[in-house]
Amino acid sequence: MSTIIKNKGYTNETLEWKAWLDVVDPDNCTPEQTEVLEMSHPKAKVSDYYLFLVHQPAILKQRSEAFNAIMYAPGGLARADRELGSLVVSRINGCVYCASVHAQRFEQLAKRNDTVAQVFDEPRGAGVNEREKAIVQFSIRLTEEPENIGPDDIQALKDAGLEQAEILDLLHADAIFAWANRLMLNLGEPVFPPPQA
Amino acid sequence: MNDNYPSTTGARPGSTDAVDAIVGLTPSDPLFAIRHARHKVVHATQGSYELFFDPSSQGLPIQERLLVAWHASLLSRSDALARHYRDALDRYASDAEAMAAIEGGRVDSLPPSRLRAMLIFTRKLILKPVEGDQAALEQLRDAGMATADIVTLAQLVAFLSYQIRLVAGLSAMKALESL
Repeated sequence: MSTIIKNKGYTNETLEWKAWLDVVDPDNCTPEQTEVLEMSHPKAKVSDYYLFLVHQPAILKQRSEAFNAIMYAPGGLARADRELGSLVVSRINGCVYCASVHAQRFEQLAKRNDTVAQVFDEPRGAGVNEREKAIVQFSIRLTEEPENIGPDDIQALKDAGLEQAEILDLLHADAIFAWANRLMLNLGEPVFPPPQA
Repeated sequence: MNDNYPSTTGARPGSTDAVDAIVGLTPSDPLFAIRHARHKVVHATQGSYELFFDPSSQGLPIQERLLVAWHASLLSRSDALARHYRDALDRYASDAEAMAAIEGGRVDSLPPSRLRAMLIFTRKLILKPVEGDQAALEQLRDAGMATADIVTLAQLVAFLSYQIRLVAGLSAMKALESL
C-alpha cells in the first residue's frame, strides 16, 4: 500500500476484526466446515469472521459462492469499478472494516487512490470522472432508498457509458455489500493497528 | 407466487428461480440472458434462498424465518418481496398477534419471546446496521438462542438486504427495457 489515508473515522490501513460471540475452533471443524472455509477465503481459517459464520457452513458456502462470483468473475464491469461500488456502499453504511479492505483493493486495481480520498471525505458527488460519479450516485441510492430505484437510475448509468451487463455487475457488487456490511457491523468489530511509534 | 416456493434444498436445474419469478423475468426478456450469463451468482442466490426457506431446515422454524423476511421487506418498502413472503406465510399456521405487530410496525409491543427478540434485531439490522452492538447479540442469547441460530438469523436478514436491492435493481432494468 502506498499512502495512508485517514478521514472521518475511515482508513485504508489493514484492520483486524473480532467476533462478539464464540467462534468455531479451526482445529475442531467438521470436514464440511473445513471445506467451506477453504473455498471462502485464503485466510478463512485464521479469520474470526469466517470462523464465526462457519457455525452454519451450508449458508456460508452459498454466501461465499455469490460473493466470489460477484467480485472476481472475469468480464463485464472492471474490477476496480466493482470495488468502487463496494467501497461506497460500505462508506454509506458506516462499515469501517469493509471500507478499509475495499479501499485497498480499489487502489491495487486502479493504481491510484484519489477516488478513495474523496469517498472517505464525502461520498456524495465523489468520482474523478462522469463514469465514476454515476457509479457512486447509483451505489448511494441503492443503499439508502432501494424502493425508489427506477428506470431513470439505470438510464443515468447508461448515459455515463455503462453497458447493460456492466450495470448488472454493479448492482450485484452493491447489493452483496448490503449483505456483507450488515454481518461485519453486527457480529463483531474492527481492531485497529497500534499507533506507530 | 406460492407455487414457486421451493420444497427441497439445493438449487435444482430447471427449478423456478425466485428472483426471476418476483421480478417477472422470463427468457423472452433480453435482461434474462444477461442475468443468467452470471450463472454462479444466480445459482448461489437461489441456493441461499432455498436454504433459508426450506421447511425442513434445522434450527429456527420456517414460520419465524418467514415472519422475519416479511418484516424486513415491509421495513425496506419492497412491495414485491413483502407480498412474496406474506403469501408464503399463508402456507403455515398463522401467528396473528405477531403478524398484526409486524404490519402495524410495533414489534416492541409483543410479549417477551425469542420471536420478539428476532424481530427487533431484524429492524436494527435492516434500518440502522451501523448501530449494531454486542448488547444486541446478548439479547438474542438471553432470549434463548444458540450461537448457530444467531448466525442463521444474521445471515438471513443480511441476505434479505441483498435480495431486496437485487430485485429493486433488476425491476428498474426491466422497466427501462420495456419503455
